[in-house]
Amino acid sequence: MYSKVYSYGLKGIDGYPVEVETDVSNGLPHFEIVGLADTAIKESKERVKNAIRNSAFTYPVKKITINLAPADVKKEGALYDLPIAVAILSCDEENEVKHEKDYVYVGELSFDGSVKKVKGILPLLISARKLGYKKFIIPYENLQEASFISGIEVYGVKSLIQTIAFLRGDEELMPVEPCKFEEVKKFGQMGMDFCNVKGQKMAKRALEIAAAGGHNLLMIGPPGSGKSMLAKCFPSILPDLTFDEALEVTKIHSIAGELDQKLGIVSTRPFRSPHHTASTVSLTGGGSNSKPGEISLADHGVLFLDEFPEYTRHSIETLRQPLEDGVITVARSNATVVYPANFTLIASMNPCPCGNYGSKDRECRCSPTQITKYLAKLSGPIMDRIDIHIEVENVTYDQLKSDTLEESSAEIKKRVDRAREIQIERFSGANNFCNAKMNASQTRKFCKLDRAGEVLLRQAFDRLKLSARAHDRILKVARTIADLEGCETIQMKHLGEAISYRTLDRKYWH
Amino acid sequence: MSEKKSKRDDEKRDLIIFLSQFDLSSSKIEQILDKLGEKATIEKFKKFNFVKDKILTSTTYSKIIENADEVVLKTYLSNLENRGIKIVTKADENYPKKLLELPDSPYILYYMGDLSLADEPSLAVVGTRKPTNYGKLNTEKIVREVAGAGVVIVSGLAYGVDSIGHRACLEAGGKTIAVLGCGFDNIYPAEHTSLAKEIAQKGLLISEYRPKMKATKYTFPTRNRIIAGLSDGVFISEAGFKSGTIHTKDFALDYGRNIYSLPGNVDSIASELTNDIIKRGHASMVTRSSDILEDYHLEEGVEQTKMAIDGLSEDEEKIVEYLKSGAKTIDQLTENLEISINNFNTCLTTLEIRGIIRRMSGGYISLN
Repeated sequence: MYSKVYSYGLKGIDGYPVEVETDVSNGLPHFEIVGLADTAIKESKERVKNAIRNSAFTYPVKKITINLAPADVKKEGALYDLPIAVAILSCDEENEVKHEKDYVYVGELSFDGSVKKVKGILPLLISARKLGYKKFIIPYENLQEASFISGIEVYGVKSLIQTIAFLRGDEELMPVEPCKFEEVKKFGQMGMDFCNVKGQKMAKRALEIAAAGGHNLLMIGPPGSGKSMLAKCFPSILPDLTFDEALEVTKIHSIAGELDQKLGIVSTRPFRSPHHTASTVSLTGGGSNSKPGEISLADHGVLFLDEFPEYTRHSIETLRQPLEDGVITVARSNATVVYPANFTLIASMNPCPCGNYGSKDRECRCSPTQITKYLAKLSGPIMDRIDIHIEVENVTYDQLKSDTLEESSAEIKKRVDRAREIQIERFSGANNFCNAKMNASQTRKFCKLDRAGEVLLRQAFDRLKLSARAHDRILKVARTIADLEGCETIQMKHLGEAISYRTLDRKYWH
Repeated sequence: MSEKKSKRDDEKRDLIIFLSQFDLSSSKIEQILDKLGEKATIEKFKKFNFVKDKILTSTTYSKIIENADEVVLKTYLSNLENRGIKIVTKADENYPKKLLELPDSPYILYYMGDLSLADEPSLAVVGTRKPTNYGKLNTEKIVREVAGAGVVIVSGLAYGVDSIGHRACLEAGGKTIAVLGCGFDNIYPAEHTSLAKEIAQKGLLISEYRPKMKATKYTFPTRNRIIAGLSDGVFISEAGFKSGTIHTKDFALDYGRNIYSLPGNVDSIASELTNDIIKRGHASMVTRSSDILEDYHLEEGVEQTKMAIDGLSEDEEKIVEYLKSGAKTIDQLTENLEISINNFNTCLTTLEIRGIIRRMSGGYISLN
């Protein structure tokens, strides 16, 4: 007896259809799966066998062969349990399974016959919809994730028995009701609020500009000056995720298995802060079963690298491509996968290994060579991609205890949103959406300076000894500052402020 | 007679240059020259057994004898000449006069640049490798003014006060001498290689070590005696008790040079030594450049740049006024002056470009 059902596999963040062909023939009892299956799939034999038995179906004592087509693509994960079980059962006429040809099945089975959630449902559904698949049977636990995609029928099942009953027509299931993104959004956690940060006006202003223009930012300051806290507040002033962005972020989180199944979608901008001992692969993604890394999980959100120079040089340098192109290409011997990695980098560091260099009341114990080595870890090309550098100072006790009301994140966010609207209008038609991502010709077009501005910039280069690479960075930041004020042209004061955010380009640092 | 003498000197000079290839200390060279007497030549050197006299170890001696050859010396000399490295020995007439006063003056000096600077009125600027903002600011200010008045600035090309001294001097258009504790091929710290090049062009770069010599723990204190010896006064701007500056101070006292010192806060580790020598009366206290220049019978440089503080905006004036009481952090400024942070940043940039204020490490702002 022969039967065929459809399932779906994932490669990177895109999917491809998989046909699960089953042949049950007479012969010695045997169970074989072919089609480049990984260990998790090979082991599904036992899960399928026990799930069928424990669901009170008859497991055929025959020779069973499963083929996962296309046969030349390596398949991973436990999501083929359900289609295999359905395929086996439908070979036996006694079971009266009249499954419709165009269903796509995914799901992991447990020994008691219940269906467990799987990773990557959202990207799988999006990809399958593109290819014209309309009906899906997926684990009930994954249903929320599927509810954001319109134009398809998705049924959630809790067990193998329920699946077969549905296919026989004994039990009726309703396709999942579409869910509105706006409704879920309000459940999102917004992180910390800027009203809790006392003082630090300079840093807050710089973070506001970074949020408005999508600029990468580096904070330099002694330990305990509140760099991490400032960074944690940063997501609260970023503009809301749009639905399309949310879908893209959810895709990645779904594949990595990091999705909150209650919400089913990532509704707030992600904030990732991998520790500096993180391996390069955990940052970039990859490995034998090609998982997205931290930088992809931070897509459309914030990647916070605390103690920046403590990361291995190799890890820091791998950030170059994603910072430039917004994607990371992970090439491995059996596959090349492109993951999106469109994040804002917020990095923080101490001025020297002991952290007290430049401090007035604590002595720095580092030798000049140590300090130079520490700073040299940040190579030119990396510094080239960070638009704003600021120094964060220690907060005094008086500031800490003062009753002055600090501006809340919501107020700052209003200004950021306005600046972003201007940018969206400016770049409509182009494929970037914020000032930080302007290319050279766009910079020339949108960052025109008047005569006074030109003079100021020239003087700044002469007097403050800025390095040449600072030029375009300053223009882009100045553009954002002008946008925050709603000015169409970049004025002297905008430029002046932008110049003040280039501390690391200065000679005095050494 | 004079011709005869000059021939004799040339031969002595050859011997000194020849011996300098083997890293002998100046006291060893002195012992050898004493032994050889009036007529010191390489040939004569070969005839003496310096091992028996316990002047040289057998390994060093045999190494020297192996290479005791006119050809070896000639290739060495032409090599140096090709690279623009010049030599002056104690046997030469243009040997710096001030160094002759020293009890252990170096027998040989390798140099690049203008040797005549060594005979001009000069001030050594030395101190810690890690100055505080206060130290940086005041070293620069005083060096600019002293150099502007025409005094040659002598220092050791090290991190911190040394390089600040050289740079401030060059910026003020003054002349500077850098004395190295290593050979010209191994400039330490390597980051200051470009600074060394600039000094070789505009001033004078000196070392008593052959170009291939690497810096060691012992070369720096010996180098410090040349710094003290080459200068008429020694200005110590900031130094703690552990600083190597202590050697320079001791040499300066031995050689009878004037010592000037910048006072610091009593609780500042970076000013321990400077405060201490003022207290003991070893150094005279310097609060402005004229304190030093008076001893040189010079007036402050005409070039002194008094920044024009007019045509400022209201906010800028407020900032300048507030900074008159000392360096402040950005938070202190914005809170007390009630200027919005975006306006404030713009003011900082314009004030900085005009040279009225400067940013210091640790987020401090101070008047220039």
